[in-house]
Amino acid sequence: MKPTGSAPAGPTIQLDGVARWYGNVVAVNDISFKLEPGVTGLLGPNGAGKTTLLHMLAGFLAPSAGEVRVLGRRPHLDPAVYRQIGLVPEREAVYPFMTGLEYVRFNGRLQGLPDPDVAARAAIAQVDLVEAQDRAVGTYSKGMRQRVKVAGALVHDPQVLLLDEPFNGMDPRQRLVMMDLLCDMAEAGKTILFSSHILEEVERVGSEILVIVAGRLAASGDYRAIRTLMTDRPHTINIRSSDNRRLATKLMADPAIFAVELGPESVAVRTAHLSIFRQLIAGASRDAGVRLLEVTPADESLESVFEYLVRR
Amino acid sequence: MTGLSTTKSLGLVPTIAGVTFRQLVGRRRALLLLLLCAVPVLVALMMRGADVRDVDAAAGGVLDRLIVGLILPIVAVLFGTAAFGAEIEDGTIVYLLAKPVPRWAIVAAKILAAVGATAALTVGSVALSSLIAITRLGDEATRIAEVYLLATAVGSICYVAVFVALSLFTRRALMIGFAYVLIWEGTLSSLLPGIANLSIRQYALGVGQLVTKVPSSWGAELEPETAVPLAVIVVVAATVLATRRLMRLEISGETD
Repeated sequence: MKPTGSAPAGPTIQLDGVARWYGNVVAVNDISFKLEPGVTGLLGPNGAGKTTLLHMLAGFLAPSAGEVRVLGRRPHLDPAVYRQIGLVPEREAVYPFMTGLEYVRFNGRLQGLPDPDVAARAAIAQVDLVEAQDRAVGTYSKGMRQRVKVAGALVHDPQVLLLDEPFNGMDPRQRLVMMDLLCDMAEAGKTILFSSHILEEVERVGSEILVIVAGRLAASGDYRAIRTLMTDRPHTINIRSSDNRRLATKLMADPAIFAVELGPESVAVRTAHLSIFRQLIAGASRDAGVRLLEVTPADESLESVFEYLVRR
Repeated sequence: MTGLSTTKSLGLVPTIAGVTFRQLVGRRRALLLLLLCAVPVLVALMMRGADVRDVDAAAGGVLDRLIVGLILPIVAVLFGTAAFGAEIEDGTIVYLLAKPVPRWAIVAAKILAAVGATAALTVGSVALSSLIAITRLGDEATRIAEVYLLATAVGSICYVAVFVALSLFTRRALMIGFAYVLIWEGTLSSLLPGIANLSIRQYALGVGQLVTKVPSSWGAELEPETAVPLAVIVVVAATVLATRRLMRLEISGETD
């Protein structure tokens, strides 16, 4: 992934100032990025605009402003680009009356493959679904439906794979199989963009991530750098103890703590160094002769992490 | 990078139509429509049992007023609007749209599937009812049954094409379809002269009279020379409009 403006010509996916609104509601706002072969995670809380963004890339929505290009073409105007795009939508629905093999073969036929049956069987093997391939999709578990959707999306060996929350409903072993598959495809030169609202999923697969919050691109780049940003941000911890005032006085003296707010029943502490705080609080309470009743992080929701990234 | 060739795309029409047909007939709605189409057959059996020999009562009542006037448009509006509507509703439409298949081929397949389902039930109902209660009334009655076989087949195509297109323009296609069938064709057409030119039922009956003339008291108002081009125009216009609409159809995400 390269920041817009500095990438070499011909990225697989390119968005320039893309916005999408529905009436007065802005779903995606002024997003620009370029993607090249590899796995990229699209991370954001529910309702952030991930699906809208993926639907624009898949050509199901036209941008209200800006330009979306996939392999140099504008997907909402050009169905031919689907020869090189595989899509796994978030919605679970798959034709329930078809067997898994029939569904994947149907996708192969619509892609105009010369031998859709061979391609379908290979795709089903890739997602580890051979044993269930002759069962009706309507009898599949949620995880199996996800996998058959993935098989349908990669039956034509596309250059670009777009996946919306692909790990939903999969058990841990299935997740690992799927993650390995995505990594293998990336090594083979494919461009893969998948969305998730779970950081751990993204960091296990995507070397690059895009963080989207409230329709805006909050951060992009190597996941390690963003992970550091997330963990080194200021944290607020609420503490209840047998003597909040005495504990607050003790904590104020430590340079790792940069704010202390004494409330009626608890004390709120702000620190940028969570690991240091964990060691510090035990010693401070012991030295002050105070008994800790409750230590609770106040802002550990993913949304608050994302909001912090947006404010930066 | 190019889309699929016209020949290859034409070859995919039966594939897509087959899947749509399975979707349409696999729902409980299809069973209810089958029961609806069994009603004229039951009426025909009762007429046979009562030895009704009046062509006006048998053919006019069962084939004209019951099947072509009521059951055909109801079946067509339900299958026609569901051909795309059900897939848009459950999200499976993305599996068709994310393919390099020309949109005209998808529309043609949807119309083909819905016409197949509609005609299978309604033409079947006409055929069975006729065999039970009408053809036994003589050659003229048999010719009239043939008129309604053709009219029902043509009506299936015209109604379905219009309702398939309508379902791409509005989520209220079913309601508007019923309003058209029951209010426009069912009520206004008998009150306002000249409405025949804007009535699919009249196009179907008009084309049916290529076989023979039916009694004017049954309500057929158009001659075949007028009805045939109007029916063709309706089907072509609906197909073109549906294709253009499908090319611009937007699908927003469920969660965002």
